[in-house]
Amino acid sequence: MIEILQWSTLAVCGLVALTRVPSALRGNNRTLFYIFALMTLAILLSIEAPYVAIDQALGGVNVANLILRLVIFAAIYFVGIRITRGFGADNAYRLITGRMGMTVVALTSLIVVVVFLMMDTAGSSAGMVAVSAKDGRNGLLVEYYGAAGRAYPAYVSLVLLPAMARAVSSTLPALVRVSAFLLAVGAVAIGVSLVFPLIPPEFGFVEFVINYTAVLCFVMGLALIGVASLVHKRHHPRQKTSTEK
Amino acid sequence: MPIPAKAFQRWLHEIAPEASTSDICRAAGIKRSTLAQQLVRGKVAGATVVSISRAYNINPVSALAGFDAFRQLAAPPFQPTRSELVSQISTPDLLRALLLRTAAEPGGLAKAGQSDMESPGASFPDPQPTPLGPPPHATSVRDWVEAIDDGELRHRVSTATGIAPQNYSAQLTANRLTPALAVATASAAGVAAAGGLVATGLVTEAEAGWPPGARQAALDSMTDGELTVLAGERLQTLGRALRRQEHDQERTEKIWENLG
Repeated sequence: MIEILQWSTLAVCGLVALTRVPSALRGNNRTLFYIFALMTLAILLSIEAPYVAIDQALGGVNVANLILRLVIFAAIYFVGIRITRGFGADNAYRLITGRMGMTVVALTSLIVVVVFLMMDTAGSSAGMVAVSAKDGRNGLLVEYYGAAGRAYPAYVSLVLLPAMARAVSSTLPALVRVSAFLLAVGAVAIGVSLVFPLIPPEFGFVEFVINYTAVLCFVMGLALIGVASLVHKRHHPRQKTSTEK
Repeated sequence: MPIPAKAFQRWLHEIAPEASTSDICRAAGIKRSTLAQQLVRGKVAGATVVSISRAYNINPVSALAGFDAFRQLAAPPFQPTRSELVSQISTPDLLRALLLRTAAEPGGLAKAGQSDMESPGASFPDPQPTPLGPPPHATSVRDWVEAIDDGELRHRVSTATGIAPQNYSAQLTANRLTPALAVATASAAGVAAAGGLVATGLVTEAEAGWPPGARQAALDSMTDGELTVLAGERLQTLGRALRRQEHDQERTEKIWENLG
């Protein structure tokens, strides 16, 4: 069940990234292509089989997991910038790119790297499950490592949430409001991931569902805005330029 | 409060006992599938009754009055108020009338502003009033409700019909009002029941029993001050709506630019 969810999320994300290739080649919103490519890489690294294969190639000490965390940070940073710019959420933009945002991303990255180096990380294992099972110290460190890894995405999501809620109830085109709703659901899901340590181990699958809901909502929401812009351009061809003259 | 299919069938049988459904649809210019769908759902639209009445030379307002949902329309037609009549003049027509007054009496309206202004009459060589465009106009529904609103009207309509105030407002903003709500609004305001049907464009002013030229007469009876204030209000509302549209447009462009 979870395997299906993982591979189909990968497929969706990969396809969306592919559809962005032509416009990226044209130089049109390249960041969006990078976002989707980074997200695809992140999903690939969160699935057992590809993770083990890649990590083995990198030395088998779970460096792939560290890369995964930093890839997620980069993706969510660019998502935050694009969305706040697009939706004109200037305060949120400042909270992500300003001193506060930079402090949060630097601090969480530092914690992630330091905690990673403190662990005995030998032996490729997706989600560092095997590492955490080694002994009590490693178990605790993996918890901290995971918490720091979730903290930055949660920070950005919570910053985005008010702007998305406003957009949903605005008078913007319907497709844009649906997109904003999907992005808001994704942001809530990432926010919820902060309380993962409180979820009892037997409900571990809930964590998977929340994670993939978040990714899917973000990817679909962003892709839908692209669709909406195509629809809009077809209905109002170059309207703006003609009135600007 | 839609028109039940059964009552509608009975009415059809009365006005055109011989005609088949396809005859009626052809005569009334409505799609057969549309009518069939309304009959299956058991809710016939007011517009359907209006089109069929016109095709069979029946006054649509009296035809609608025959149905329970529109019984208020059966009351002896009393005349629309002056503000209702004026509300059904489009903003461009109002502005034209305002400018024509200035042209007809050089220094009349304009004097209020600048006494030493050159007579603007020259720019209007032919100050003949152009005939007013027929209702509805771009904001006719909201203008009509505002013309009959004593401040509590929306509240009373909401209690009488159970519609949520924000849904009612949304209809007015979209320049729409269901026929049933239009009639309910008129009776809540205590004005002639058919006024709202004119404002929504369901029936013509003649069909609603408005005397020909009544709107022009109402317009002519307005003082310069009244006309100017009204035109100003209309322009302000229009300006706000346009600004909102432009603002939305700018925001959407920005979204395409960054995320499209």
